[in-house]
Amino acid sequence: MNRTQLLSAASTIAVLSLAAAAPAMAQTKFEFWYGLSGDLSEKVQEMCSRFNASQADYEIVCVSQENYENNLQNTIAAFRANKQPTVTQISDGGVVDLMLSGAFLPVKQLMEDNGYNIDWSNYNSGVASYFSTSTGELLAMPFNNSTAMFYYDTDALAAVGFEGVPETWEQVEDAARKLKEAGYSCPIAMDPTGNWQWWEQFSAIHNVPIASNGNGYGGLDAEVLFNQGKFVDQLAFYKRMFDEGLMVHKSKAAGQTANEAFIAGDCNMTSSSIADHGTFSTQKKGNWQVAMLPIWEGTVRQNSLVGGAALWTLKGKSAEEYKGAAAFYNFIAQPEQAQHWSTITGYIPVTVSGFEAMKAAGFYDKAPYKGRELAIESLLYTPAGEYTRGVRLGNFGAVRQEVIKAMQSVIFDNADPQAALDEAAARSNEILRKFEQTYAGQKLP
Amino acid sequence: MERRAVYRNKVLPWMLLGPQLILVLVFFYWPTSQALYWAFTLEQPWGGGNLWAGLDNFLYIFRDNRYWGTVLRSAFYAMCTTGLSMLVALTLASFVDRALKGTKIFQSVFIWPYAIAAPAAGVAFRFIFSPEAGLVGGINEIWPGIWDPSTNGIQALGMVIICHAWLGIGYNFVFFLAALQMIPRSISEAGAMDGARPLQRMFDLQLPLIAPTAFFLLIMNIISSFTDSFGLIDTMTEGGPVGQTEVMVYKIYVDGFKGLDYSGAAAQSIVLMLLVIGLTFIQFKWVERRVHYN
Amino acid sequence: MIERSPFFDAVTYAVMIIGLAMVIFPFWVVIVAASQSLHEVSRVPIALWPSDQLWVNLAEAWDRGGLGTKMTNSFIVAVGVTVGKITLAAMSAFAIVFFTFRARMVCFWLIFITLMLPLEVRIVPTYAIAANALLPFQTILDTVGITWLVQQVSGFQIALNWNLLNSYTGLILPLVATATGTFLYRQFFMTIPDELAEASKMDGASAMRFFWDVLIPLSRTNMLALATIMFVSSWNQYLWPLLITTDRANFGTAVMQLRFLIPTMNGTPDWNVTMAGALIIMLPPLLVVALMQRWFVRGLISRDK
Repeated sequence: MNRTQLLSAASTIAVLSLAAAAPAMAQTKFEFWYGLSGDLSEKVQEMCSRFNASQADYEIVCVSQENYENNLQNTIAAFRANKQPTVTQISDGGVVDLMLSGAFLPVKQLMEDNGYNIDWSNYNSGVASYFSTSTGELLAMPFNNSTAMFYYDTDALAAVGFEGVPETWEQVEDAARKLKEAGYSCPIAMDPTGNWQWWEQFSAIHNVPIASNGNGYGGLDAEVLFNQGKFVDQLAFYKRMFDEGLMVHKSKAAGQTANEAFIAGDCNMTSSSIADHGTFSTQKKGNWQVAMLPIWEGTVRQNSLVGGAALWTLKGKSAEEYKGAAAFYNFIAQPEQAQHWSTITGYIPVTVSGFEAMKAAGFYDKAPYKGRELAIESLLYTPAGEYTRGVRLGNFGAVRQEVIKAMQSVIFDNADPQAALDEAAARSNEILRKFEQTYAGQKLP
Repeated sequence: MERRAVYRNKVLPWMLLGPQLILVLVFFYWPTSQALYWAFTLEQPWGGGNLWAGLDNFLYIFRDNRYWGTVLRSAFYAMCTTGLSMLVALTLASFVDRALKGTKIFQSVFIWPYAIAAPAAGVAFRFIFSPEAGLVGGINEIWPGIWDPSTNGIQALGMVIICHAWLGIGYNFVFFLAALQMIPRSISEAGAMDGARPLQRMFDLQLPLIAPTAFFLLIMNIISSFTDSFGLIDTMTEGGPVGQTEVMVYKIYVDGFKGLDYSGAAAQSIVLMLLVIGLTFIQFKWVERRVHYN
Repeated sequence: MIERSPFFDAVTYAVMIIGLAMVIFPFWVVIVAASQSLHEVSRVPIALWPSDQLWVNLAEAWDRGGLGTKMTNSFIVAVGVTVGKITLAAMSAFAIVFFTFRARMVCFWLIFITLMLPLEVRIVPTYAIAANALLPFQTILDTVGITWLVQQVSGFQIALNWNLLNSYTGLILPLVATATGTFLYRQFFMTIPDELAEASKMDGASAMRFFWDVLIPLSRTNMLALATIMFVSSWNQYLWPLLITTDRANFGTAVMQLRFLIPTMNGTPDWNVTMAGALIIMLPPLLVVALMQRWFVRGLISRDK
């Protein structure tokens, strides 16, 4: 990635020259905690130093908290101790809790108060609706947004005579079977803890509800519905794929994650975020492709869910720090910065104009970026509907864990899919009721 | 406590006790009362308010069969780690007690595990048991897929138990050896002269004499199975697969800090605290009976 | 002992050697893996013999884990807890054993009860006040009405705030606040003959003089014993530092760092570096136990009996 190196070298020089030239001026420091690690964490750090190099009034200190879950946990601990960062990155799992907590400043208001004029309508509607109130007021700054994609090793698939794109589950199964017969030990790498791509996205593109009340958007009294119909069949399908050795368990606990297995060439297909496109391009050898998530034949494809996280501004900081945060948001919203961020990672451009500009410039036409436009296509496949705009459930992180447990107990311990999902649903509903009770009398904004 | 206390002073003892009492108040009694309060309310994760919930949190966990599963698992875990660790330590101690030449070296090494942090042992054993690495995982070369603690809950739990038992060897060994050495030689010798074989002597003479130590260790091991297990599980399995290595302390952590249900976790904490207090109380009764104060 | 039959001696050695192998094996694996290259450590089955990459791996682990800061932090915490506990415990045990005052037994029990509940067991409650350790005092002031009074008189609202997140005090104090040391000292002070105190009294020495000149020198062994135990146990703390530090780069401890050395981050199963990290982190307490074994064993036994 010569271009990246060049850019980071340039920014380093900029920092150095700034450090040398800048007069001794009181800088406002503020913290930004994020939940990415490894390769993506380095990219965030790069954005931070670019921001610091671009101006002299503020210094952003960016701290990795390993993953979204840990970042949420630590942000809460810090908030309770009044030591919170000014900006924190919260993903879909923690959105409702934060929305009801009143612990944040809505981004729209923040930007207006600090004199920045942002064209909010320019934001990709799917992204905006995930982090907005029901009346459409954006609460957090969209930053790293993505959707789930299907990745496949074209060399391996071609070697066993599978040509074209595995667009349907039938084709995926066919390709996996051919690979298996040809002696490939791991046709599809699958991690049941990645239920965002294997479960929630599945529900969106097949238009089946995860929860009542429009996936929870209609109010806190929603109940989960993932123990019915297509979900049960899908879990049974995964189980069968595992039993036949077409899917293989790859996870942190197993010593190699699905992405690592795909990069190493140990597995030939997997599903992951478009955000990993950048990492795959730099690390994976050989030919591979990205596609929209597979769908069952005979179903009408819907748009997929927005994933990733947004930047939330927490209450209890000084006006100066808020100015800094606003400046940072303004910085990442600049077309050239947004494009840079999207280039080095794989995250989608969050604005419509950003995407159009990149498309017009031919960004998506050639390797290594070719294929990334499919993520946008997947997100905009149909207008966001009741079950495809997102999931808005209280303590969603805990509900997710229930689904993961159900998937694992079916796949690892041969539990009956229907029974396992029924139990997960019952427990999830209890979590939701408890959450509703904790915030009794409050409504989703 | 029958000392003829010799100093009378109204202020000095309070000044001496002050720092410790304040620390104990701030870091022990206050938090405990706070936990009680949380356990009877619904605490909002981000702070900012709570609602009185009465016994709901307790009813919730007592009705939850997964909670009872965790309790049973904790009991099983405690039983296995305690049993294994004490058995190995007692065996080693009774042979070391023979004080043959060179025993000192063995004796020093047997204490080492006590020095190791649970997470450090966890990381080491995770490698030893890792399915893709070349130790226990080597078995997968012969029978592919036979060893995989990342999907097999029984294997995962077994692996954590073995590691925990190993960690406990040092501590148990120290106490067993001390207890054995305190038995007057004349007793064993008298037994030997009566023609008792070593094994028989072990059961008839030594075991009854070290029973108090064994009982003390039993309680300490059980308590340690509640505390040290956290570091092990967090580095080895993170409670998985499918929650099959979650014990009580780990569940409190997962529900409270990861699942953002502070109230439910507080209720579980109260239950665990009562349990540990109960165990210590039994032990204390025993100690009181056994230790003589001048 | 009694039987000196060569056969029984052989059995004894055999059992001890098996035991030694069992106890040593994990240490051996750590050292072996830490000295191998990535290629060697990934081999199935692995060679159980050290290779020549030890320094490389140690350096890599030191670097990757940021162990310079982390080891310093652990050291500060371990020494802080040790010193704090030895001092406070000696003082309070002295008060409890050598003084008569009304609330003596109440104080003893107040402190003693804390022995029962290790930090892990009451983690939720302790965490609750980590945000503001002065909360109990604030509550007292509020309830008694002092806050109100002061505000009426001076217009100043008392707001006590002292949070423990990301601080050495937060890492240290909750660990000092248990009774282990107090109990050990109490047991020891009980064995001091009354005559000693009486003699000192007759010489006209004050209570504090007796404490300094007689008790402290006499309890040197106990102090050392307590110090070794406290050092090891506070170095090895895991759950509490994990919750109380959100700023891992600056306030993380070495043991906390272990989890981040497990290979998952960068995709290569470089267990050799992980094991090198584990080796570094487990070394200080191991040295304490191995080198100060005599004190340590004594402390352990007299503490818990």
